[in-house]
Amino acid sequence: MGPSTNQRIVGASPDRESELWLEQLRPGHPRHDQTLARLHQTLLRTARHELSRRRGQLGSISGPEFDDLAQQAANDALINVLGKLDEFRGDSRFTTWAYKFVIFDVSGKVARHAWRRHPPGHKELDFEQLPDRMGPRPGDRLEQREQLDALSRAIGELSDRQRQVFVAIALNDVPIDVLAIRLRTNRNAIYKNLFDARRNLRARMAAAGHPVLEEEEA
Amino acid sequence: MTADPRHLDELLRARDGDAGCTAGEDVLDAYVELELAGEDPARVYPGTAIHLQSCPGCRSDHDGLLEAARRFTDIEPD
Repeated sequence: MGPSTNQRIVGASPDRESELWLEQLRPGHPRHDQTLARLHQTLLRTARHELSRRRGQLGSISGPEFDDLAQQAANDALINVLGKLDEFRGDSRFTTWAYKFVIFDVSGKVARHAWRRHPPGHKELDFEQLPDRMGPRPGDRLEQREQLDALSRAIGELSDRQRQVFVAIALNDVPIDVLAIRLRTNRNAIYKNLFDARRNLRARMAAAGHPVLEEEEA
Repeated sequence: MTADPRHLDELLRARDGDAGCTAGEDVLDAYVELELAGEDPARVYPGTAIHLQSCPGCRSDHDGLLEAARRFTDIEPD
């Protein structure tokens, strides 16, 4: 990964609605308590919606447990929002900025829940051969079979950490945050391993005479 | 799923200019608002646009935030 090419939106100022949120959330404002309750209600609704969207990772979580998770996410997000009010730059609406904290919190809570429910084991991290769904098929051309063989060899030549991360995420669909818990690190570090593994695999395949060409973005 | 070149390219996607997870977390709210306004966020945040194509965790966060910002709109303080 190289240096970020993102630009900051300079000179953006909050819209009137966002300014109202900021003003009324300041301690001492006459409408502080009502605004705080309104914000919590909004964050809770967003947390419930996001948990539902990620329900596939939650398994058969029961009603009260689901509600408890949503409450915890809304509470934690509210604390984060209030602690970072001075960092709000007005690059987005205040509510979108606040929702971001709920989304991140739910993301972390769902990963921890998924980890407890189904921690990835050696099967998901070890590499012996490409999964069946990727393996050569009778109709494949010789060139395609050789490319898959080269990929298989290249995976075997990665460092232990890069191979574990690539195999878990790219081949076995282990969620990146669950893998981060398993390997006692964070998403950013795992992503760096994944990025480096992919770069290495491309280079090794090219060196073996089977380059993977970059397709044009849609 | 066989050795389709497009699939292999996706499996091994690691583009130059990828901003990484941390840079994207900072701008994700502004990024989705540009999308909701019908603008191209890749123009302002090219590094995050590249990153979101490759990082499943950040892409899921992005999808959740986009949906929330689209669905729960115009919420005013009391």
